[in-house]
Parts: sequence; structure tokens; C-alpha cells
Amino acid sequence: MSASWKQLFFQILLLLVSCRHINTKTPGPTPPPLIPIDQLPTDVRSVVLKGESHTEKVELLNPVNLALECTWTGNQDKLPNITGLWRKNGEEVQNSSQTVLLENDQYNLKRVFSIVNEENLGSYTCEFGSKAKIDFVLAAPQIGEVRDKPIVSYVGDSVVITCKMEDTKPQPSTWNWYRANGTDKEQISTAQEPLRYEIKSEERNTKLVVHSLVEADGGLYYCGAVYAISTSMSHVKLKVINFHEPLKPFIAIVIEVIVLVAIILLYEKSQSKKNSAAGENGTTDQTNTLTQGESNGPEESSSMRQRKV
Amino acid sequence: MTKLRPKARSQGDGAEGPDGGWGWVLVGALFVSTSLVFGLMRSLGIFFVEFVQYFEESAQAISWISSTGLAAQQFFSPLGAALCNAYDTRWIVMTGGCLAGLGLILASQATCLVHLYLTMGVISGLGWGLVFTPMVATVMANFTRRRTLALGLAFSSIGLSSFAFNPLFQLLVEMYTWRGALLILGGLSFNILPCGALIRPQRRSKAPAKVVSESRVSCGSFLQRASSYLELPLLFERPYITYTLAISLLNVGYFVPYFHLVAHSRQVGFSEYQAAFVMSAAGATDILGRIASGWFSDLGHFRLIHLLSMWTTLAGLFIMLLPVSSLSGSYAALMVISLLYGFCSGALTSLVFAVVPMIVGVERMMGALGLLQLIESGAGLLGAPLSGLLKDITGNYTASFMVAGGFVVLGTLTMVTLPHYFSHKDPPSPQRRSPDDTEEGSPAELEQIHSLPSHTNDLTGEVTNKRLPEDTFS
Repeated sequence: MSASWKQLFFQILLLLVSCRHINTKTPGPTPPPLIPIDQLPTDVRSVVLKGESHTEKVELLNPVNLALECTWTGNQDKLPNITGLWRKNGEEVQNSSQTVLLENDQYNLKRVFSIVNEENLGSYTCEFGSKAKIDFVLAAPQIGEVRDKPIVSYVGDSVVITCKMEDTKPQPSTWNWYRANGTDKEQISTAQEPLRYEIKSEERNTKLVVHSLVEADGGLYYCGAVYAISTSMSHVKLKVINFHEPLKPFIAIVIEVIVLVAIILLYEKSQSKKNSAAGENGTTDQTNTLTQGESNGPEESSSMRQRKV
Repeated sequence: MTKLRPKARSQGDGAEGPDGGWGWVLVGALFVSTSLVFGLMRSLGIFFVEFVQYFEESAQAISWISSTGLAAQQFFSPLGAALCNAYDTRWIVMTGGCLAGLGLILASQATCLVHLYLTMGVISGLGWGLVFTPMVATVMANFTRRRTLALGLAFSSIGLSSFAFNPLFQLLVEMYTWRGALLILGGLSFNILPCGALIRPQRRSKAPAKVVSESRVSCGSFLQRASSYLELPLLFERPYITYTLAISLLNVGYFVPYFHLVAHSRQVGFSEYQAAFVMSAAGATDILGRIASGWFSDLGHFRLIHLLSMWTTLAGLFIMLLPVSSLSGSYAALMVISLLYGFCSGALTSLVFAVVPMIVGVERMMGALGLLQLIESGAGLLGAPLSGLLKDITGNYTASFMVAGGFVVLGTLTMVTLPHYFSHKDPPSPQRRSPDDTEEGSPAELEQIHSLPSHTNDLTGEVTNKRLPEDTFS
């Protein structure tokens, strides 16, 4: 009995040891449940090429068995057979090179790909010899509105960063936010720092609120729209500046204003002194007397005016 | 004694200004301060996008900020005018500049929307009110023959500064966010201070009234003084009331194209870019119209009031033609009418203020302008919601434009009822009456009593107004 208990104990220990590494943070959604390949839905994309090349964008949400069909109407040579092959991201797919026969004045290439996760996405190309090719760009819906200018905010203030998926595109199942850490992306978890980060996600848009900014908070932030097949990213740059930044032009302007006012007032004082000095010689201009009159006070000036008449 | 009086400075009827020299410096000061008041107000739209995002409020709530600012500027205009009548204009304008800047600086620290209403709206609006009317009145007092040209040149700053401020504010917001940008704007607003400093201390024709009541400091005398500074007696004079009513009616319709032209163009089917271009083109001819009309009016071929009526009639006509021109779907027709409308609306703005001293006299001009601003502001507040309501009811902008144009033409018709409208020469400007005068008798009669002696006064020295208060007390 004890031997079997010991065995159990060791098995459990072994299990625990091997399970220790499970808690790593991976940038990306939890891997989709592994559906056996033959149970995936099937989809077909076909393109008829008349010229030399064509690019087709394919938007995918869920894992799928995607059949890609290429049809080429051929060129003036109209060779009876031609070498066709498939490439993924430029590299030849193994065992895909085949001889394509001219049927009904067309060359046909067809292949089924299992698109299960992010690694399966990319650019799939069918090539006819080296004469014609069709590119299929497989991707999850991309976030269209990317803000190219950085968001600026102040130290101590809070900032709202938003990401939006257009109405024309399918909505993601959830949103994630990441922060650039060197070359890596680190997911932002509100549970870890609830006072600093707040994520408010609705179906098509998401907001990341960062409170109590410090200068170190500046940098690239990524929002990820999570689909079953992969996560589309968009990035926004955050710049955190000190309040001293706008203060510098402000103080410059204030100094300029003070200088101007001083110049104007001093110039006027010197003018009136000049005039009053000239006035004592009896060659007064009307304005001089008036200036003097005004400096004596309003009441006297008006009475002076009366008396002059 | 008489030889020492330069002709230009004769105060025979108080309407002759020196026309040149320092006057042009003041025109420059008015140019700068007007651009910092109205040009700034027009370009605040750039901030509204930021406010909507930061405070998470609706666009309508945010738009109340500029409405409050404009309303405060117009509401406090009589206060500014009265203060200038009581104290030195220079310090009032400088205080106004300080308040305007202070409001914007405090706004940069706002944490909720109400803060913005109070700072950008009320405080800055108060500052603007203390700046605009006094500066306009000062410039007008310094010119006679070139008055309209001076005003036209100065008011062209509104259009020009809108062109310059929009990209500048955009840049400031991108570099420093709205907080930093508002702080810098506050600093820029302080540039009103040197403009105010350029105003030379002037003779205080209101001062005698102050001398009188200084002996009894009581509530009654204070009210009397306040009403004389505010020029409240003007509200009982028919020419002034007629004119104010005419300008208020004009105001109801005048702004409607600025609010709705872009939306109307989009609705008719033109692209965003085309609609915006129509607006910019109208703005450009507006600037042109102000300067051209100012220059032309001062040539003296026609009476100012007749020119004003012509421009307002044309402007009303073109407003009414706007929806008609776009009915045909022709972009060229819409553009032409908009250009013509822009020119006429700019042309009439130069004249609106210049006519006031013709009606009330240069001495009461300050208070008159203040009251005019206050009364016309109420009408302006009516115009935009009314046109919006019409659009909501009828579904397009045709009715709004028609009604707006109608109001403008109605304003012209009201102007026609001004006394001496159909005479070829301007009636002599009324003298300032002492507060002890009775209010009976039409102003026209009193004008005639005053006009004869004052016209012979040209060179014979300053004050021969028999009606100055000193006379009754000396």
C-alpha cells in the first residue's frame, strides 16, 4: 500500500515541478482551444488573374481551413504545362511544386491551408512558373484609425488613450493593452496596479486611463483587438512633459509685454517732460498746455479751457 | 489764444478728431487688441475637440464656453464704457487685458467644465468687454474724416488673425496640450496691455459731472452719476433707439451664414473641402470689404448712413439668394453669392460703429457703443437658435437663410425711419446735454439750438458749448 502511495506522491511531485513554469506572461491572448484540423470550418477564396500579379486581402476571424484557388489565363506563350508552386511569406511551401496543365485555356492551382493561429497568417503566394503570381494576404481585421501624432500629457495629470475598430469591420472578442518594454511588449494588468491603470472596453472601442503620470510613463503603448485567430495591434506614442515646458514661452511673452509697456510709458513721460520744458519758453503748442493741464487734474483742465475762451 | 489752437483739435461740437499722427498708432493698437479679442474667440474651436475628449462632455456643453465668453464681452461693454467715462481709459483697457489673460491662465488649471465657464467665459469675457468698446471709442474719437477707414483697417484684423491663429493654436495644442496652450494664450492676451498703454490720457468731458456730485456722496448721487456714465438717458432718445433696434435686427440675421453655410453646402451635395473653401473665400472678401468700404466711405461722396443702408440691403439680399443659388446645384453660383455676401458683410461692419457718433455725438460715443453692444448681443443670441429651429422644422436651410436675410432687410427699413434720413447732408451731431435738462423736446430741435453757435466755433476756441454743465454752475 505504501509503495503505491509513494508512487502517487512522486507523481504528484513530478507534476507540480513540471507545472511550475505555467505562469509566464505571454503577450497574446490565451491560445484558442485546440480544435482538431478536420473539424475546422472550410472557406474558399479564388482569384482569376489576367495580368502578371495581383494581391488579395483576406480578413479572417476564426481558425479555418482555407482553400486558396488561383486561376491564370496564361500569356501569349500558352505552354501546355507549367510549374506551379506555393509560397508562404516568400518561402516555398514544402512539396508544393507541381506541374500545372493547361485546361480550358487556363492554369489552375489549388491548395488547402489550415489557418489556426497567428503563425499561420501571412502572405500566401501561388506562382505560375516565374511569370505570374497571386498574393493572398491573410490577416485579422486591422485597426484603421491610427493616431500618428503623440499624445502629450503632464506629470501628475491623467491621460486617456483610445483605440477604435471601425464599424465596417467585425468587432473583436476583447481588447488588451500593452506597454513597450525594450523590444518586448508587456501586457498592462489593471489588477496589478488598480490605482494607476484603468481599462474601459466596449465592443468596438477601448480606453486606457493612466493616472498620476510620471515621465517614465512615456513611450509606446499598444492596444490589441483580440480575435480567435490572432490579435491586431495598433500603437500610440505617449509623451509626458513637465509643466515647465509651456512656462518658458509664457514667461518670455510676459517679459516682452512688461518691456513694451515700460517703453511706452517712459517714452510718454520723456515726451511730456520735453514739452513742458519747451512750454516754459512760451512757445507752447496747444497739446502741451493740454498735457500739462491734464496732469494738474481734470477739474482744473476743464476750467482752464473755459478761461481760455 | 486762438492762433494756438490747431484747427484739427477744435472742440466746437466735440466731433472733430486730429485725424492722423498718433491716431494711426491707436489704429494699430486697436488692430492688435481686436485680434486678441475676437480673433482669439473665433479660433477657440480648436480647443473644443480637446475639451470634449478630456472632460467627456457633449459638444453642445462645450460650445457654451464661447457663447458665455461672447455674451460676457457684450454684457460688460456698458460697464467698460461707464468706467472709461469715470476714469482714465488707459487703465481700464489695461485692466481688461489683465483680466482676459488671467481668465485664460486660470482656465489652463481647470478640472471640470464649470471652471471653464467661469474662467474662459466670465472672467475673460469681462476683460474683453473692458477692452473692446473703449478702444473702439478712443480710435473713433481720434479721427473724423478717416474714421471709417481707420475702423475698417482695424477690424480687418479679425479675419486675418483667424487665418493666423488657427494653425498656431493647433501647433500649441499639439506641443503642450490644451493646458499649456491656454497658458500661453493667456500670456498672448497680455499683449493688450501695451495696446492700452498707447492710449494717451484724454480730456475728461465727463469730469464736470463728477465735480458737481462730489459734494453729496449718497446713493442717489451715485446712481445719477452711474446713469450719466452709462449714458442711460440715451435709451430715451428716438434716433438712438431706432438705430439700436436696426442694428439688433441686423444682428439676428447677420451671423446665420457663418454658422450654417458650411452645413448647408454639405447638405446640397458639395464635398467637405468645397464647403470649407466657400467659407474661407467669404472670409477673405470680408476682410477686403472692411477695408474697401472704410476707404470709400471716407471719400465723403455719400452719407455714412446711406452707405450703411446700401450694404445692409445688399447683404440681406445675398443671404436670401444663398439657398437659391445652390438650388441649381452650381458650385460657381454658390461661390459667387458667398463672395458677394462676404464683401457686403465686411463692408457694413466698418460702418456700424462709425455711424454712432453721427447720431449721439462724439462725447457720448463711449457709452452709446457700450449700450449698443449690450442690446445687439441679445439679438445675436436669438439668431442662431432660431435658424437652427427653422432647419429642424423644415429639413433644410432655405427657410433659415430667408428669415435671416429678412431680418437684415428689416433692419435697413428701420434705419430709414431715422430722423433726417433723406437729407443730403449729415445733421449736426447733438451736443451733450447737462443732466439738469429736461428730456422733453425732440432731439432734433435741441440739435438745432446747439448747432448754430457750434458751427461758428471752428477756429474761435474750444468750448463754446453753451450747454456744458459748467455754465449752469459758474
